[in-house]
Amino acid sequence: MAEERELQIHPIMQESMQHNARIVSNIRALTASLFGVAAGTLGLESFPGFLFYLFGTLIISLLIYAFRAEGKPNMYFYKPLADLWMGDLFGGLMSFVLTWTLFYGLVKA
Amino acid sequence: MAGPIEQQIHRDPALFYWILLPITVVMILTGILRHYLSTLLQTTPKKQALLKMREQRHLMRARNMIINHAQISKAAFNKRKEWFADKVKEGTLLESGPDGKAKGKPNPLSDPAMMDGMMGMMKGQMVMMVPQSLIMGWINAFFSGYVIMKLPFPLTPQFKQMLQAGVGTRDLDVRWVSSLSWYFLTLFGLQPVYNFILGSNNAASQVAQQMQMQQQGNPMAGAEDMEKIFAAEVENLEVVEHWYVLDGVEDRLLAKFASSI
Repeated sequence: MAEERELQIHPIMQESMQHNARIVSNIRALTASLFGVAAGTLGLESFPGFLFYLFGTLIISLLIYAFRAEGKPNMYFYKPLADLWMGDLFGGLMSFVLTWTLFYGLVKA
Repeated sequence: MAGPIEQQIHRDPALFYWILLPITVVMILTGILRHYLSTLLQTTPKKQALLKMREQRHLMRARNMIINHAQISKAAFNKRKEWFADKVKEGTLLESGPDGKAKGKPNPLSDPAMMDGMMGMMKGQMVMMVPQSLIMGWINAFFSGYVIMKLPFPLTPQFKQMLQAGVGTRDLDVRWVSSLSWYFLTLFGLQPVYNFILGSNNAASQVAQQMQMQQQGNPMAGAEDMEKIFAAEVENLEVVEHWYVLDGVEDRLLAKFASSI
């Protein structure tokens, strides 16, 4: 009840939240593809490749935190932990695998 | 050095130009085609009869009142609640008016509006399914029977059947895959490409469309007894524990100023 009251006093705009989420997922998808290119060119295989992806997305999270959210994620995300850090961590995985496979095949062929 | 010897297959680089690139280009173009087809096939919602519209709008209004009850004062809320309960009791908000209260539930198949909704869903399914099966047939017909690439990660042998379709070697590592697996990879991984070509809310990817399908829910849901739904809404309004967002606003304002000084 207290939280509900808080939400009515400081309402959350659904549209703005969707806009922010879309921007974040666009950034993630694009960078995931680029990470795939990098991983394929480096010739990473299996486990190191996925670790590479994980580190890459964490760095991207940091960059979003620092530049897009200007260090104040509470202003841009309702739940910063879920929306910025944890959420969508694997959203770009399929595009990563796609470009990874393509460039791995091209380089190692 | 222990461990199994890595299998090495030398492939013609032409495989890339004549198989991987065509499949990728075709997949991207199909996505674009699918996007434009689904925008073309989208039926504009049919104009509803005035009375039906009134019925639905009143229902929506009651639901919005439950959600946003804090925005109006207690007196205003009670007034609206009583008005709504009265009207529902009289039955004037129903499409068929107070006389048609006891009418039975209509058959969804005989209702033309319902049929339209189902046709829309069928069209959506067709736009998704037809290109998918066409391309799979195309790949199977032209590019099956040989491996074209090596995956950078190992898979379990269960995938052998699917990813090495048409390659009749028992001992080949699962990492060597035929063209069909490249098709699957592009199927799932091209979403960002569509995003950049067509804008963010495109209809190119079938994964996103399937999600949307599930959210839309059952098209048959409209064919229910409206009288009962209205009665349920009245009860929901009764149990709302009302409070007003402006209660104690002076204190909050003063506290805000006090903390900022």
